[in-house]
Amino acid sequence: MSALPVQGALAPAPIRRRAWIPEILRPAPDRAARPKPRLAYAVIAVSGVVVIALAQLMLSIAVTQGAYEIDGYELSQAKLSRQQQTLSEDLDRVQSPQYLAQNAEALGMVPNTNPVFLRLSDGAVLGQPAAAGGGAAASASLVPNVLISGVPLVTEQTAGETATVGGQGAGLGGAVVEPAAPAAPPPAGGSLPTPTTH
Amino acid sequence: MNRISRHPMRRVLAAGVVLVVLVVLFVVRLVDIQVVRASALNEQADEVRSTDPIPVYGTRGEIVDRNGIVLADSVMRYDVALSPKNAKKGPLMREEPDPADPEKTVRVEVPLEQTAAELGAIVGLTGDQVLGIIASELADDPDSDFAYVAKLVDVDTYEKIRALDIPWVVQYPHPSRSYPNGAVGGNLLGWVGDEGTAQAGLELGQDACLASEDGEVTYIPSLQDWVEIPGTEVVHKQAKDGGKLQLTIDSDLQWEVQRIAEAQRLAVGAEWATVTVMEAKTGKLLAVADVPTVDPNDPAATDSADRGSRTFTAPFEPGSTFKAVTAASLEDAGKANPLSQVIAPYSYDAPNGANFRDSFYHEDTPYTLTGALIDSSNTATAKFGELLTDQQRFEYMQKFGFGRVSEVGFPAEASGDLNGGPDEWDNQTKYTTMFGQGLTATAVQIASAYQTIANGGVRMPVQLVEGCTDADGETTSPDVTGTRVISEQAARETSEMLENVYTQGWLKDDWRIPGYRVAAKTGTAQVPDGNGGYRTEYLVSVSGFAPADDPEFVVSVSIMNAVKMNSSAASAPVFQQVMSQVLKKYRTIPSGAPAPDLPALW
Repeated sequence: MSALPVQGALAPAPIRRRAWIPEILRPAPDRAARPKPRLAYAVIAVSGVVVIALAQLMLSIAVTQGAYEIDGYELSQAKLSRQQQTLSEDLDRVQSPQYLAQNAEALGMVPNTNPVFLRLSDGAVLGQPAAAGGGAAASASLVPNVLISGVPLVTEQTAGETATVGGQGAGLGGAVVEPAAPAAPPPAGGSLPTPTTH
Repeated sequence: MNRISRHPMRRVLAAGVVLVVLVVLFVVRLVDIQVVRASALNEQADEVRSTDPIPVYGTRGEIVDRNGIVLADSVMRYDVALSPKNAKKGPLMREEPDPADPEKTVRVEVPLEQTAAELGAIVGLTGDQVLGIIASELADDPDSDFAYVAKLVDVDTYEKIRALDIPWVVQYPHPSRSYPNGAVGGNLLGWVGDEGTAQAGLELGQDACLASEDGEVTYIPSLQDWVEIPGTEVVHKQAKDGGKLQLTIDSDLQWEVQRIAEAQRLAVGAEWATVTVMEAKTGKLLAVADVPTVDPNDPAATDSADRGSRTFTAPFEPGSTFKAVTAASLEDAGKANPLSQVIAPYSYDAPNGANFRDSFYHEDTPYTLTGALIDSSNTATAKFGELLTDQQRFEYMQKFGFGRVSEVGFPAEASGDLNGGPDEWDNQTKYTTMFGQGLTATAVQIASAYQTIANGGVRMPVQLVEGCTDADGETTSPDVTGTRVISEQAARETSEMLENVYTQGWLKDDWRIPGYRVAAKTGTAQVPDGNGGYRTEYLVSVSGFAPADDPEFVVSVSIMNAVKMNSSAASAPVFQQVMSQVLKKYRTIPSGAPAPDLPALW
């Protein structure tokens, strides 16, 4: 403390020095006068921790629960995609030209290779019309397709039956559901039904 | 307190030293765990907690036709395996409806024989065969834990086996390939082997587009029920789907063309036949039939020689269909026109010593160039062909696309053989190359040459692949810039001559398509026996295009060794039926005016 006046004498601005002294020389607070930490703070802090822990627990439970839900959905997705694959394979093979041709032949249709067109704008016939020649050639063996072997043709199905492929689609909980069977096909063989107009 | 306050720096220093020591300890430990022993620790942890790597299958791209109809599709199949060791352990227990009370179930004991019979019935074996598999595996190794029962079973079978709920049967997914249209385009598509490797055809040639990559993931499951713990999945390798390959082929037309070709092949007892249908203006292949055709669902059912596409891989001496190329070259070089004249003998002794005859006897005949084509006279064609140098003809052949593989780049595609060129041709070959012997070409090259004539002299690249769309939706298409080979006038005049072959040739009644102008040329070519001579069999062919007034479609037919009808009369009906079908299918308006009449003789 004795050094202070010396420093003060050296200092050029005594007014500032006087304002500076009281800040540094403050009486030490009395220990006993310190305020007691309040209980409320402790309660808040502890309950905060508890709340956070609880929230985390709940979240974790929810996530775990979600895991089982996801697992369930994944299982059913896998099952559905298997079902979808079966059905689209069925569809693809009954769409194949071989199957369509066999059905057409079974219904007594024959191809007319002669190209003739009717122009709608003026009713002109382009090309020289000729009757379809020959009987229905069995084309099944010409362009093979092992996938459609055993698939019943449209003429071989009874009413209400649908074209399931070699047992495909069975056992999938009636997944292969189609509306009513197509109308009864005209009898195969013999002459074709022809319109009477010419 | 006083002591410390007297030496405040000491306290700070002590705390600092402790801190630094602690931090160094931690860092050392961290580096040890994270860097030095990282892989070992990871492995150890994975062993305890994580699953084995689980494959995630990328889907091999599908092949579709020009209209988007699926020709080759990826499907999931399953391999069924059992554990012989566990199967032998004893009968199964199974819940079954109580016969006394349908509401309830009872636990019944199912003996191994019955389980085996049930399993066998689904995969197409007898119960004894399944028991045989188990017994033979156990005979080899009493602790055997793995044996296949069936491979590549379909989803339906998979579901049925799952329903049996046999604990010692496991099913593994096995990506496979299905070809819904069977043999339609089977020659082009090729197939994929059981292990997923492309074996032939476009599957092999376009593997870079189609191939997928399998990925790999691991996750940490719950030990109790094997359910994945959220957020623990690690993707080690991302699965990648293959691209979608679109062809220029029309699957309906392809079927029809294959049907027509196969019917005729059987009717005339031929070894094989090919039919190529090409768009005249674009060079796109609409149908490429090779009969017999492989069904890629079951390649083993077809003889191994018949499993590919001869259109691309089997070069042959084209014979008279090649005369159109010679005529077009002459026209373009300005050396001849349809009415140019020669006197052709039956047997010609060429100045260089070569000698050859026509296939039919005739006195010395005053042929026009048109007539040389109509009667398919070798001697007349040779007398015209002499007007060009060998080098000139060789260059025209190359410009028409002969002697090199087409732009398709089909696996094992042949380039054909021009026998080196004029310098290496012997005297006989210098003449025979004028009428299509002494050189070889593939069916697709012949079709491409006719496409050039049909398209006003501009040859378009042969195109079988429309484009490849990769998994990100980006499409790459082949280059489609045409090159002019002959002048427009030369192309038109050649086309008119070929029309007269169609209207005046000896098959004029066999290949008539009423209402359309057609240009076509037949060929009956001898087949080399590989020893410098010729076999007794012939390869008969027809190539042409229609409508000749505005060509849209090129059709080229080749039939090998038609034992019951060894002349181009065997191939003419195929040409007629295929061309009719093409014109009809694409709604081509019939021609108005008739073909111009050109004199064959003078």
